[in-house]
Amino acid sequence: MSTGRRRTRALVGAAVVAVAALTLQGCAVVDGSGDDPDTLRVMMAADTTYPKERKQWQQETAAEFKRTTGADIQWETYSSPQEELTAIQTSVISGQGPDVYAIGTTFTPTAYATGAFVEMGSDQWRAVGGKDQFDAASLGISGPSASKQIGIPFASRPFVMAVNTELLAQAGITELPTTWDALTADADATTRDGHFGMAVAYADGFDPWKFVWGMAENAGNTIVDGSKAEISADAVENAYRTYFDWVTKDGVVDPAAIGWNNAQALAQFADGKAAFFPMTTTTSLNTLKGSAVDGKYQYALLPTVPPRATERPADGIEAASILSGDNLVVADYGTKQDLSFDFVQQVSSPAAQERYFELFGQLPTNTEAAQTIARENPDLAPIVQAGKLSKPTAFTGAWSDIQLSLVDVVVQSIPSLKSGEVTDDQLRKRLAAAQRDAQATLDRQKNGGL
Amino acid sequence: MTQVQTRAPRDAQRPPREVRPHGRTPLYRRERPLWMLLPGGVLMLVVIVVPLLVGVYIAMLDLDQYTLRQWFSAPFVGLANFVEAFTDSPLLHSVWISVSLSVLVTAATVPIGVAAAISTQNRFPGRGLVRSVYLVPYVLPAFVVGTFFRTMLQPQGVVNTVFGTDVLWLNGSASYWALAGVMVWTSWPFVYLLSLAGLQAVDGEVHEAAALDGVTWWAKLRYIVFPYLRGPLSLAVIISILHNINNFTLPFVLFGIPLPSSVEVMPVLTYIASFQSFRFGLSAAMAICSLVIVAIPLFVYLRAVKLDTGDDAGPTRKQRRADLATLAAPAAADIEGARA
Repeated sequence: MSTGRRRTRALVGAAVVAVAALTLQGCAVVDGSGDDPDTLRVMMAADTTYPKERKQWQQETAAEFKRTTGADIQWETYSSPQEELTAIQTSVISGQGPDVYAIGTTFTPTAYATGAFVEMGSDQWRAVGGKDQFDAASLGISGPSASKQIGIPFASRPFVMAVNTELLAQAGITELPTTWDALTADADATTRDGHFGMAVAYADGFDPWKFVWGMAENAGNTIVDGSKAEISADAVENAYRTYFDWVTKDGVVDPAAIGWNNAQALAQFADGKAAFFPMTTTTSLNTLKGSAVDGKYQYALLPTVPPRATERPADGIEAASILSGDNLVVADYGTKQDLSFDFVQQVSSPAAQERYFELFGQLPTNTEAAQTIARENPDLAPIVQAGKLSKPTAFTGAWSDIQLSLVDVVVQSIPSLKSGEVTDDQLRKRLAAAQRDAQATLDRQKNGGL
Repeated sequence: MTQVQTRAPRDAQRPPREVRPHGRTPLYRRERPLWMLLPGGVLMLVVIVVPLLVGVYIAMLDLDQYTLRQWFSAPFVGLANFVEAFTDSPLLHSVWISVSLSVLVTAATVPIGVAAAISTQNRFPGRGLVRSVYLVPYVLPAFVVGTFFRTMLQPQGVVNTVFGTDVLWLNGSASYWALAGVMVWTSWPFVYLLSLAGLQAVDGEVHEAAALDGVTWWAKLRYIVFPYLRGPLSLAVIISILHNINNFTLPFVLFGIPLPSSVEVMPVLTYIASFQSFRFGLSAAMAICSLVIVAIPLFVYLRAVKLDTGDDAGPTRKQRRADLATLAAPAAADIEGARA
């Protein structure tokens, strides 16, 4: 046989093998354990902060699940909210996919709108060990009402601020600020000698809307009132003005922060270069451990009195944080719902919830476990308190778009932040655009947005 | 016998046979087993045509998170999504951004790529290493490049520090130039690769002949090298334009979501409509609009190389000889001039 022909045959053979391998691999990815009645598919967010601990938790959980039910768990991950939606979208359309999803709380309304998840009735709550075991506040974003819930609270990550106690002591500050104006004043007092009062991430994709939402809630504005957007209201304008003034007028934030994300702002705080780091969660524990501020910081509640006020107005809401964390939802297209509820019951138990806190620093949603942790970790009292004072964002499938509109106001204002001033006219125009976009999204809602 | 007798008058009546420009019979008249194209045709139908038709259908639906589950029975809205895309969304703005960026980046990468190819054409110690280094921007994953530049372009990043500037690269009007610069950095090696392929096709004897005749470097470049590069460069330009218009990863990683308005490119806009706003129908309409835009340069290219006709693209040997003669004439004049 000629060398050329032999080579051609070898190439053809290699191509056939490659195609066959890819096909088999494709089948493996598509089918997974979908048809195996003894394997539960669980999808969660990828954990880049604690990858080793995540693996350990998965092994422990799977072993326990195998012991109690005889079934295996196949773990699947998503690395972004967009990937999360793509997975849900594919599963919803094809009617096959993971049996249980751990989704972010603010994503729960969108998941609810798809109608692809089991609505928890009394039987279902009983199957996961009872609804009463969960902290009442953590159920705030499980569904549009107490009788229509799909989300089973799994982990709580309320937002708080980290405070550099050493810098505060040097500035003679003895009491932590409880109003946004007091926070600005304290930040001003601690801004000196290369230190800034606050570490704020203006270029983060999420932080800006959480600040604005919190300040607006404190003033009694919930951003969405039924089917009406309220972004162009005074309370929201005041919130943006306060947020922008920190870097333009008050000078309490490093000018470089206009290009930062949350991790960069955290790094500045961890270096001991900022007195306050508002908008963080217990996930920052890992970074702060062994840093320049180790032993010199504490967590504190975010202010709950709106800007330009010394006390909360009568209709103001004592919202210390958005209701943040993870909910578990069970797919209604699957045939393994009993197994799914067994899994939820297992990870909702006090022991499992305490173990989850131990590994990842995320607070339990189980009341008993939360009490144990609060008792054993007095330092975390502000975080536990923030969890209790967390308020849900509007339960509408349009929230994702509204959130984007709120962030867009900041993104488009960054060049002005750099030049040192966002004029009232610029701000109002951007708020009007955000209001228009948000209202259009709300107007497009079907089924009342649910 | 009868056949011979009848054929002669029929031939006589037949109009003179059309002489094809390249002396070839059109593809559809050639006796070829066209049925053998069937598997490819079926594959094309399944892989391209069916999804395209489904995409067009989705573009006519009010498909969002509320109707996703029963997507086939989502409300039919006809052309409403297209109308909204053009009249009530930033699509036209993003078309302008994407097309202008694409043309700008392609125009910048061609001279860089050609110069790099010419610089490594002649043998020199370490040529292999230089050629490998040239390919680094091309082989790095786009998200790595994006992350890398995102760090460098921070307000207090390496770029501002080194150049002593205070420019906001990742927001505002400068972000357009930042994106263009990063796109140039990542895409010039592609032009370099195709140019290198074109240069490899130049017959060594031609170089020898030119050297013997004492041709200047510019004449050699202008009349020998560049004509050989015309084909590969046309291909490089068209692919670069298409690739740059469709570039999603770099703007997504560099600027995040939402994008500053000066870099609001089409692919990311479509992505936001789909995965942030959950307007699947609208995003499908946007995607179809972008497909049409992308199809324009593709059509021009296909016409230019005649791949969309039944004719083969390549010129005949006779034509090639004529082309060479045309090319050689000015070179010869140059040579004569140089000798004089």
